[in-house]
Amino acid sequence: MLKAFHPLPKLALCLVWIVASLVVFRLSFQIALFAAATLLLLFDARVPPRRLLLLMVPFALFGFGFFTTSVLFRAESGFAVLMAREQGGAPDVAPGLVLFFRVLACGMISAVFTLTTDPGQFVRALIQHARLPAQVGFALMQAMHMVPDLRAEMLQLRMARAIRLGRPLRRVPGPGEAIALAIPLLAWAIRRASRAALSFEARGLQPGRGRTQLPQPPVLRMDWVCLLGGLGFLALLLAFLPR
Amino acid sequence: MPDGLSFDRVSLRHAAAKADTVGPLSLSLREGERVLLLGPSGVGKSTLLQAATGLFPRSIPGEARGRIRLKGQPVESRPPAGWADTCGFLFQDAAQTLAGFTVRDEIAFGPENRGVAAARIPGLVTEAMRRAGIPPGWAERRISTLSGGERQLVALAALLAQDAPVTLADEPAANLSPEAARRMASLLLAPGRTTLVVEHRPGPITDHVERCVVLGRDGRVIADGPSLEVMTRDAALVAEAGIALPLAAHLHLILPDLIEPGLPLRETLRRVPTAQRGRVRDAVLPSPGTAGKALVTLDRADCAPAFGPVVLRNLSLTLHAGEVLAILGPNGAGKSTLAAYLTGLLPPRAGRRTGPPGAVAFQNPEAHFSRESVRAEIEGLGHAEDGVARILADWALATVADQHPFTLSQGQKRRLSLALLAETDRWPVLVLDEPTAGLDGAAEAMLGRRIRALARDGRALAVITHDMDFALAVADRAIVLNHGRVQFDGPCPALMRDRAMLGSAGLLPPEAAPVLDWLEAAC
Repeated sequence: MLKAFHPLPKLALCLVWIVASLVVFRLSFQIALFAAATLLLLFDARVPPRRLLLLMVPFALFGFGFFTTSVLFRAESGFAVLMAREQGGAPDVAPGLVLFFRVLACGMISAVFTLTTDPGQFVRALIQHARLPAQVGFALMQAMHMVPDLRAEMLQLRMARAIRLGRPLRRVPGPGEAIALAIPLLAWAIRRASRAALSFEARGLQPGRGRTQLPQPPVLRMDWVCLLGGLGFLALLLAFLPR
Repeated sequence: MPDGLSFDRVSLRHAAAKADTVGPLSLSLREGERVLLLGPSGVGKSTLLQAATGLFPRSIPGEARGRIRLKGQPVESRPPAGWADTCGFLFQDAAQTLAGFTVRDEIAFGPENRGVAAARIPGLVTEAMRRAGIPPGWAERRISTLSGGERQLVALAALLAQDAPVTLADEPAANLSPEAARRMASLLLAPGRTTLVVEHRPGPITDHVERCVVLGRDGRVIADGPSLEVMTRDAALVAEAGIALPLAAHLHLILPDLIEPGLPLRETLRRVPTAQRGRVRDAVLPSPGTAGKALVTLDRADCAPAFGPVVLRNLSLTLHAGEVLAILGPNGAGKSTLAAYLTGLLPPRAGRRTGPPGAVAFQNPEAHFSRESVRAEIEGLGHAEDGVARILADWALATVADQHPFTLSQGQKRRLSLALLAETDRWPVLVLDEPTAGLDGAAEAMLGRRIRALARDGRALAVITHDMDFALAVADRAIVLNHGRVQFDGPCPALMRDRAMLGSAGLLPPEAAPVLDWLEAAC
């Protein structure tokens, strides 16, 4: 269902959920949002549990930083306590715990959008419905192409370096190797971007020139139903979860 | 009627260059004329194409003199993007110039920019895919999942959808398997469209053009006329400029008493006395080498690109000292992956590799450069001063010795990367991945001689290539990779005569196939 959900209402819904997570300082609400996003990823997007756990690691580490800071350095977490009080947080709830689950909730909501949305279709929808300039849209698509190509380029550079140094390829580059690779990779990215810009120009893309669009899927009634359903779920959480 | 495209006393000079890259040059293409522009690498053929729509010097810094007209109008009268409805451009490296996220986006890009009615675009996309032979199921495929050859095909479909009356193509068949290159040539050069194709060697394109223009090493026109006429009448001039000749013309140059000019190869071979088979053989095949001890062995190895899935399973292969092995196969068969395992850069996922470490000359030569100038790169090999001078001269790099490696032409970069690996005895095993891409005829011939010399010195070499004639000229043995396994392993000439085997792997017989047939009959 989520994969068929039009990217723009889906983006709007995810942004509303994230904003709600940022402004409501309530542990039960953060846990509910985190659980809802995780369940959607597991059962609707069919993300394997192992991948989902791996995905949570950076968010959990980031959130754990908030948690430990809050617990170990209570005097320095005054801002969090103040926020909790202003937003009705119970004094017996560790603010760090709320912050921890807020990071997880926001991370998983972002994952719901990114793992269920075709990036090309999203950019196309932004060009067509949100007046994103085509130059910016195609530059974004080009950047998305570059990510896997950059990885392949880096691998080739690492192999060439291993050949020069006469040693087998390491699985993970060391700090020295990473520094040595930075400039060639940057040079590659600049050259690549220049070639792409030339190609765009040669093929008729220029600012201010009227252009048409390959017809994109419209926003259907089902998309509105999903959007309203998501907003309704949020309202229910806010209304019925304990303060 | 105005010409489709004309260059009138045009000279082009890149910013900061001390001399003109191209010209002065005058060249006109009539409406509907299809022209092949040949020239050695580094003479500014790509720059000339970029100047045709004003990309040079408006977007690429430089200076242009003379007059360029497209459909009778001065090229300066519009910005480069404004010519997209008149002139379609097929770039040298499609992989780096595609715009869309999916195949459908990519093909729709040109019509969208032209402002074609939205309702018509899906039909144009479908039609372009059909003409280019792209399966309908590819429409939603992401560009990043396509192989290099597949991307080139998508770029061609995008060009067809753009439907401009003038087409410019920069080495469109480079990096394509022989069959794909032949299909590309026939689609790109369909009659009726004014087309200028730049190449540094005649290939399948030659059969589809009315005219051939040859640039010399100074960037000026040295020959102009119908392809066959240029390749026979001006063969010596063309070869002297460093451009590879069609085999019949090449054989006529080196065996003038045996091979008649202007006749099909099979016909002229019928008149050659069988007693001359030794001379004919030496002209197309390498002198037989003596394979020494086994140097590298892959034993039931599973090979995968780093961080990717296994593409070659249970592969057993031995490379001997003094042997040159050609690694052939369709695009995406795992040839480049095998290179990393033959040289020991990656350990097999399963099975075993034994032998000393080796080096790979990668398809992208820039991966090998780490210093500020060509000379510094060569000095890094540890040779004395006279040795450095000798290497620079041998690899035709003396004139660019003080340039940064990244500023070289594609052919010059290729020569430098190969020199860095071949001019040191650090690696007993060398794998060259598409070493002829971007090389002109003279550089290719020199590379062939160098490969044979390295093999005579006892090194083991493997050459990954789509160029069947180059494989035949340098390799003692060939393997064909297809469907994740070794489909053929045997003498290279035997493979080149096995049309069924070649066909099953999407390969075509070499241009020298009639010579092989004649040699077989003569024995």
